[in-house]
Amino acid sequence: MEKTRKWRWGTNRWFILAFAILTAIGVKIAAPVQSVIQVAPETLSKTPIFTLPVIGSVYLTNTVVAMVLMDLAILGVALIVKLNVKPGALIAKGFSGMMEMLIEVLYNLTQSTAGKWAKKIFPWFATIFIIVLFANLLKLIPGYESIGLVEEVKSGGYTAIPMGGNWFNVTTPAVAEGGSVVIPFARGLSTDLNFTAALALISVLMTQVIGVQAQGLGYFNKFFDTRTLFKKPFFGFMDLIVSILETISEFSKIISFTFRLFGNMFAGMVLMILVGVMVPVFFPSLIMMFELFIGAIQAFVFGMLTLVFMAMATSGHAEEHAAS
Amino acid sequence: MTGDIVQAAKFIGAGLSMIGALGAGIGIGLSVQGALEGMSRNPDTYGNLLTNMILGIAFSEAIAIYCLVIAFLMLFVL
Repeated sequence: MEKTRKWRWGTNRWFILAFAILTAIGVKIAAPVQSVIQVAPETLSKTPIFTLPVIGSVYLTNTVVAMVLMDLAILGVALIVKLNVKPGALIAKGFSGMMEMLIEVLYNLTQSTAGKWAKKIFPWFATIFIIVLFANLLKLIPGYESIGLVEEVKSGGYTAIPMGGNWFNVTTPAVAEGGSVVIPFARGLSTDLNFTAALALISVLMTQVIGVQAQGLGYFNKFFDTRTLFKKPFFGFMDLIVSILETISEFSKIISFTFRLFGNMFAGMVLMILVGVMVPVFFPSLIMMFELFIGAIQAFVFGMLTLVFMAMATSGHAEEHAAS
Repeated sequence: MTGDIVQAAKFIGAGLSMIGALGAGIGIGLSVQGALEGMSRNPDTYGNLLTNMILGIAFSEAIAIYCLVIAFLMLFVL
């Protein structure tokens, strides 16, 4: 029988106290400043990397850096799992066991929702879930939204104190004219509308593809229903109007997917910035914990919605009536 | 002068747009109420209800988040 470990009274709480005191001292040395809040991601490069004919110039933004970090994190996890899993061993241990558990939970969820289409839907659901989860949890890296390029602005800037070399410490007091602000190297990936819109487009488009795979071309009856128009004039007309509404709701899905994730994460970022300026000691940690929770929930919701819409697309109206 | 009026209008508009959070709050309260009643009557369904409750909360919360996005757009973009 395993011996129950005694709960360590007193060790962890001293760590927390020490960190709180360290923050209090750190705040005295370098008071946090309110960074620039803007919806569009900040550009790190002054000149565009390349220019496309229709889309326009493409700059290196700080969300691109965040995206590369996220990709590296996911690849790293995949590599660790691959190295950990020995051929012939039935039970995965440690970290790879944890990932196996995650995938198993996701797959069971898919199977209970989508039934026999689980194998088709699972990759999309799990990929979206894991990508959004990693994008939101990467905030845990220290200096994620606080270390960056120093840029001089006309108004609303702060003093930049040289710290040796090319490094500056941007801190209070605020300067009326010609101060500096920090443009962080990496900013939360979900606070970029491009990322969320891309995921939403992928999700909604693949819903249509899976619907066609499941029901054939009859899937498009959902969007323009003329099957009953001539048999029963009145109800057929109602069906037509309902199907057109269905088309509109398909487009509004893209918008709602996009703005749900973006709004949640952007609101969290603004909250972190404002709380960090007003109550810099200990309180931001609690907000950060809440933000991580929200990030995980939003990742789950994004994936779950994709799963539910795809599962709905596989079962058309006709099958439903036949089953009931 | 005109700049100040525009600035004031932005702030007023951002505040007014957050009225939409009212409905989301009521919706979240109702869904939690339903889930808690179900849980107290049948404690076995706790896990299942909790997942669905959080999903429902996230949907209702999305409405409030749209209002928040509009408010942010008024404050920081326009």
